[in-house]
Order: sequence, then structure tokens, then C-alpha cells
Amino acid sequence: MAKSGKLRPALDRLQGRNFKLEKQRKLEKAAGKRKKGKAQEVTEDDEAEGALETEMLENVEDEEQVEVEDGEDDNEDADEEEDIPLSDLSSVASEEKGDLIPHQRLTINNTTALLSALKRIALPTSSLPFSEHQSITTTEPVSIPDIEDDLNRELAFYQQSLNAVKDARTLLKKEGVPFSRPTDYFAEMVKSDEHMGRVKKKLVDAAASKKAAAEARKQRDLKKFGKAVQVEKQRERDRAKRETMEKISSLKRSTCIWNLWLCWIYANDYSAERSGADLTNTNEEDIFDVALEDAATAEKADKAARRQKRDAGGKPNPKRQKRDEKYGFGGKKRHKKSGDAISSADMRDFSTKKMKAPFGGGAKAGAKRPGKSKRAKMR
Amino acid sequence: MAAVYKALSKPTTRESDAKNKDEVRNRQRVLILSSRGVTYRHRHLLNDLYSLLPHSRKEAKLDTKTKLYQLNELAELYNCNNVFFFEARKGKDLYVWMSKPPNGPTVKMHLQNLHTMDELHFTGNCLKGSRPILSFDSTFDSEPHLRVIKELFLHVFGVPKSSKKLKPFIDHVMGFTVANGKIWIRCYQINETEPGKGKENEDTSAGANGVEPGAKKGKHGETNVSLIEIGPRFVLTPIVIQESSFGGPIIYENKEFVSPNQVRSDLRRAKAGRFNKRSEAAQEGKIRRGDLGLTSEGGRRNPKDPLDSQVLFA
Repeated sequence: MAKSGKLRPALDRLQGRNFKLEKQRKLEKAAGKRKKGKAQEVTEDDEAEGALETEMLENVEDEEQVEVEDGEDDNEDADEEEDIPLSDLSSVASEEKGDLIPHQRLTINNTTALLSALKRIALPTSSLPFSEHQSITTTEPVSIPDIEDDLNRELAFYQQSLNAVKDARTLLKKEGVPFSRPTDYFAEMVKSDEHMGRVKKKLVDAAASKKAAAEARKQRDLKKFGKAVQVEKQRERDRAKRETMEKISSLKRSTCIWNLWLCWIYANDYSAERSGADLTNTNEEDIFDVALEDAATAEKADKAARRQKRDAGGKPNPKRQKRDEKYGFGGKKRHKKSGDAISSADMRDFSTKKMKAPFGGGAKAGAKRPGKSKRAKMR
Repeated sequence: MAAVYKALSKPTTRESDAKNKDEVRNRQRVLILSSRGVTYRHRHLLNDLYSLLPHSRKEAKLDTKTKLYQLNELAELYNCNNVFFFEARKGKDLYVWMSKPPNGPTVKMHLQNLHTMDELHFTGNCLKGSRPILSFDSTFDSEPHLRVIKELFLHVFGVPKSSKKLKPFIDHVMGFTVANGKIWIRCYQINETEPGKGKENEDTSAGANGVEPGAKKGKHGETNVSLIEIGPRFVLTPIVIQESSFGGPIIYENKEFVSPNQVRSDLRRAKAGRFNKRSEAAQEGKIRRGDLGLTSEGGRRNPKDPLDSQVLFA
């Protein structure tokens, strides 16, 4: 790089470039490269061109790096401060994220060195008989679409190994190497008998538990079925009971209506002989049937009887009377409760005694009612 | 018994054949050891692998976690050309180092989803000291770093013929699959079932393979091959490849690898982030209320009105 005139030094001065440091750095790099180059030269001859190319490339990169990083005394430290690893970003809460540049790790993949290392150690698998190395490589790469899918992944591994075994078997047979173990050949195994016993026990246990589970399920199903049968039977019994009870209650009601009917007849002074004739003439069961089938007519009759009674001039029952008085039954309801001259002049209820009585008197009177449980017991 | 069988079954022609190309014979010995601070599961895994690899030698736990180059000397001491080192960190994370001392590459991987044989309860079993078939996914050949890793697997897990504690039959297979940027390792027993016929038919039918395990039975006593898993199961994530054994420049680094520490701290920080957001929101609300003049103190005062009676008649 030839410097042109005064412009470059001026620019450098402006940027505060540290020439001494840069030079030192360059020397270091050159030394490192020379060392590396020497190491490569020892091992490789034919790939020197490629190495040269890569070196040249690296040189170019180095220069660029130097130019970019000028003006910094401690490049690496500054780098570390500037760049923030990608993973740290999640902890940065605010919108500052946009301004940060995550750095990626530099990848080293020195192909020539790798190949030379391989060449140094490689076994001549193509020239060796197969029985020497016993390694088989698949013809096409094993593809596993989803690595998380355990079943398919293991299946892929299995298939790969199985195919290798088949190929290897033919190759080994061809070379006359004993492959399968005769059944009478016993020797120490990788897994001890104790270990295999444990495995077997585990298998047996698993099978037993599966069997037990199946048995339990069967039992449960049976039980469930049995229960259903029982429920059905119970329901049947309940229905029968309900029917009989209904019959009995309807019977009871019909006799009640019959009694009412009789009362009504007597109250209205019907001819005794006619009703008596009726009473004697009618078959009891016939009457029951009528009552059973038509409760509505019975009620109608009941209502009619009551109306008759009221029309006859009989007073309704005292309770009804009281209630009518209290809540109003007929007549104007407005201003009924308001006081007037008469009511306010009425001093009948006034008594000094009552005024002096303790406040809780009413409450005491109310307390005469027994508690709920007692009432329940009394019932 | 085993030794006698071995002696009898060893073909004589192979002996001379091997002598001819002695230099290309597959000779591997693996030093298996762990660092201090492994949990019992890590230890069980180590034992499982040790029992599966008859060409391995187990060593006492390594004291140091920083001076791993000591392993090179250790490997030399025990005549091993592979080191399989389990490094436990924080009593929970397990890192696996595979190296080829004295100057081979070193691969460091993170071990996850570990299930030992003991806890898996698989019914598969195999001879202790039988040689496995190694089954590799062809993804291993796609990239140079995976090729290196594959080669190392081949050396560490492939049992050579030369190992002493060998059994002459092949009854298990180890599967290495690359999926989702990780290496999944499985171990299966090979289960051969012959439908009805005797053993002599097996050799004749060997050429006609490709019989599915659940497929229809072969007509002429074809052997059905099926697999039963043995265990252990684990997943490896490559992190770094170094050029020499436990040292040297890094020639590969996995960009996608996120260290478990990072994951844990992220989780914790996400939790803290929630708190931060909440507290910030609370603070903002307080300020807003102050601005509206709803609090007795703080907040912004209304500017004095020049026509206020207090100003006018001051």
C-alpha cells in the first residue's frame, strides 16, 4: 500500500492510528502463519496450491481486519465489549435491542489440514480384506425428517445397521470368517447373567402387570354390568311400590270425597230415604272407580259444595275472617291505616306500666317458641 | 475352550497372508480413561464401552484436566495408539476426547443423551470380545471433519483381529449415524433365526440376503437376520478437532455447538429477563402516574400559570 502525498498521514493522524501496534500485530500474524505453513508442508505436497490460496485469502482478510479495527488499542477486549452474544438479548428488556449487533462465533474449518490429518491416520480400507476392518458405509445418507420423533429415528438407525449386517454377512462368508455363534459355544457375555436376569425379571413383571391390568379391567366391566342389572331390578321394585302406593292414596282420597258428599247431602236436607237408597244401591267399587278416574269432577263438586254453604249464610271459617279483616277483602283500602281524630284520641292502649316494662319483653314472649331441632323432634 | 476353538478355526493360509502385508494390518489399542469428577452414569458408560472393546485398556482416572498432553505419555507407556478420554465437568457434563497419539488428530466431542446398558433393560447381549460390524452413515463421507471423525471411530470402536481377548464370532453391530449435526451411536445384537432348516443351509443362502426381519419366511431355509439392541445409547456433538494429539492448532471448530454452560446460563438469564421486564414496567407505571399528578410526591409539576390568582396577587 503506497501512501499518496500528505493526505494519508493527515488522515491517519486524525484517526489516531497506532502504527507501532499494527506493525507488531502484523508480525505476529505472519509468524503464526509461517509456523502453520511449515507444519502443512511437512505433511502435504500435492495440496500446497490450495493452502497457498487459502493463505492468500487469509492475508487479505487480515488486512481488512486491521483497517477496520484501527484506532483501538486493545482490539479483542473492545470486541468483547462491543458485541453482545445472541443469547444475552432475551434479558434486555427495552427496545434497545434493535441497536445491538449480535456476534457469531468464528468457524474454523481448515479443510486441507483436516484432509492431511485424515491421510496420516487412514486405514487403507479399500485394499484391506473386509474382515480386517468390518466397516460398512451406507450408499446414501440416512435421512431422519424429524429428530424428535423417537420411533422413526430409532427405526432409521435400526435399518441402517440391519442393512450393514446383511452386507457384512455376505462379505464375511465370502472370506470364510466364522459369523454366527454355534449354539454350544459358551463364553463370557457383555451383560452378566445377573444383569440378564434383571432384564428378564423386568420383562416378566411388565407382562404380569399388563395381565393384571387386563384382569382388573375385566372385573371392573363385570362389576359395572352387575351394577346395571342391580339398578334395573331396584327400579323395577320401586315402580311396583309406587304403583301400589298410588292406588292406596287414590283409594284414600275417594273415601274422603265420599264422606264430604255425605256431609253435603245432610247439610242441604236432602231426602234421607233417597240418599239412603243411593247409598245402599251403589256398589262401593263403582264409586271408587269414578273417583279414581276423574279427580277434576270431584274438585268441582267440592267447590260447588263450598259455594252452597256460603250462600246459605254461613260465615267462613274464623281464620279466613280474620285475614279478610287484616288484609282487606272488599271495600276501599286506601287511608284505612292512617290515623284520624278518633284514633289519636283513643287512649285505651296507653298505660304507664307498659312504658316502664323492660324492652325485651316481646323478645321473651317470642322465645317461647322452641328451637328448630326441638320442633323437629316434637313432630 | 475359546482358545482351543480359536486355534482350530484359524485358517493357516491367512497367517502367511497377514505376514506379507504386515505393515498394513489393522493394529489398534485403545486407552480408555476418564478424568476425575465423573458421575456413576459416566463410569458405567465407560465400563460398558470397555467391555465392548476387547482391544482397550482401562486406566485409573486422570488427575488433571488441563495438562491433557500427559495422556500421550500414558498411551506410549501402555503401547496404545488410541486414546479415548472422558472428561467430566461440573459433575454433569461429559466431554469425550478421541485421539491418535503420538501425532494424530484429536477430536473433542460433547456427550449427551447418555443411557448406559444397565438402565436401558434391553434384551440384547453379545459375546465379550467379539468383533463388531461398524455401520456408518454415508453423511460421514460428505465433509472432511466428519471423515476424520469416522476414521477415529473406525480405530477406536473397530476391534482389530490382533487383539488378545478376541472371540471368533461376529454377533453385534455398532451404528454411527449423523443426524441434526450430531452423531448418534447405537449397539445391536445380531439375531439369526433359521426357519426350520439346519445350519448347513446357511452358507448356501448367504448370497441371497436382503431378507426383511418381518418378511415372509424364506423358501429354502433362508436365515432371517434381525437386530436386538444391547445398549448403551449416546449422542456426540463434535466441538473441536486439533491437529496433533492433545495439542496443536485447531483445524476444525463447530459453530453450531452451544456449550451446556451457555444453555444453562441462558435459561437462568431468561428467567432474570422476565424479572427485569416486570420491574421495568412497574417503574414506568410509577413514573407515568407521577406525570399525571396522581402521586403525592415526585413526578412532573404543572407549570405555573401566569394568570393564577396566587401569581397575580402575590
